[in-house]
Amino acid sequence: MRIGFFGKLRDALGDECELAAEEGETVARLRNRLADLHHQADRELLGPRVRACVDGVIVGDDFLLTGQEQIEFLPPLSGG
Amino acid sequence: MAVIVRLATETFAPEGELAGFMRGLANAEAGAVANFVGIARSRSGTGEEVTALFLEHHPRLTLPSLEQVGRDAVGCFALSDVKIVHRCGTVAPGEPIVLVAAAAAHRRAALTAVDYMMDRLKSEAVFWKREDGPAGSVWIEPTDQDRTDLERWSEACPE
Repeated sequence: MRIGFFGKLRDALGDECELAAEEGETVARLRNRLADLHHQADRELLGPRVRACVDGVIVGDDFLLTGQEQIEFLPPLSGG
Repeated sequence: MAVIVRLATETFAPEGELAGFMRGLANAEAGAVANFVGIARSRSGTGEEVTALFLEHHPRLTLPSLEQVGRDAVGCFALSDVKIVHRCGTVAPGEPIVLVAAAAAHRRAALTAVDYMMDRLKSEAVFWKREDGPAGSVWIEPTDQDRTDLERWSEACPE
C-alpha cells in the first residue's frame, strides 16, 4: 500500500513510501511499524496529534486496513 | 446565500477580492460587510527573521476544509454571503495569506463571523505552515492560544 506524508513528516520521510500490509493491520500497528523503520521520525509518527487519512477520510487508530487503501499521515494543521 | 472559496496559488490583491465580493452580494438586504486580511510577517513569534512562509496544502482535503468553515459560519451567524481566499505555496513577507469576508443584515453578526472563521482556519484548515529564514526552517503548529481561541465557539457554534 502507498503511504503519503505531509508537512514535517514529508521532510523526515519523503513524499511517500510503499509497504505491504500485514493481515488484520490497524492504523496504530502501521504507525508503530513505520516508527520502527524510520527512527528519525518516530516521535512525529507516534505523536497524538498526527492523524491518519485513508482514501480521503480522517480515520482513528483502530481503523482496519486491507492493504488496498491510499494512506496519508497528517501532522497538526496550521492555516490562517 | 453564497459561499465563495478560493485556494490562491499566486499572490492576490485583498482589495480586489473584497470589491468583487461586494459586487456579487446575493442579498440586497445585507447591511454589513466585515473582513480580515492576514499578512505574512518578516519575524517569527520568537523574533527570528523570516524570509518566506511556505503553506503546504492537500490536493483533496484543503478546499473542502475551507468550504466547511464558510458553510458553518453562514449557518451559525445567518450570513447572506461569505468569501474565503487562502494562499498556498511560498508567501513573501508583506504578502496576504488569507482574506475572509462576511455579509449579514447587521454588523455584529458580520464582525463575529469573521473572528469565528479565522479561529477555525487557524486550527482546522488543511495546511501545514513552515517559516523559512537564515537560521533554517521551522514547521508551525497550532499554539495553546489557538486551541483556546477555537474553544470559545464550542457553545455558540458547535460543529
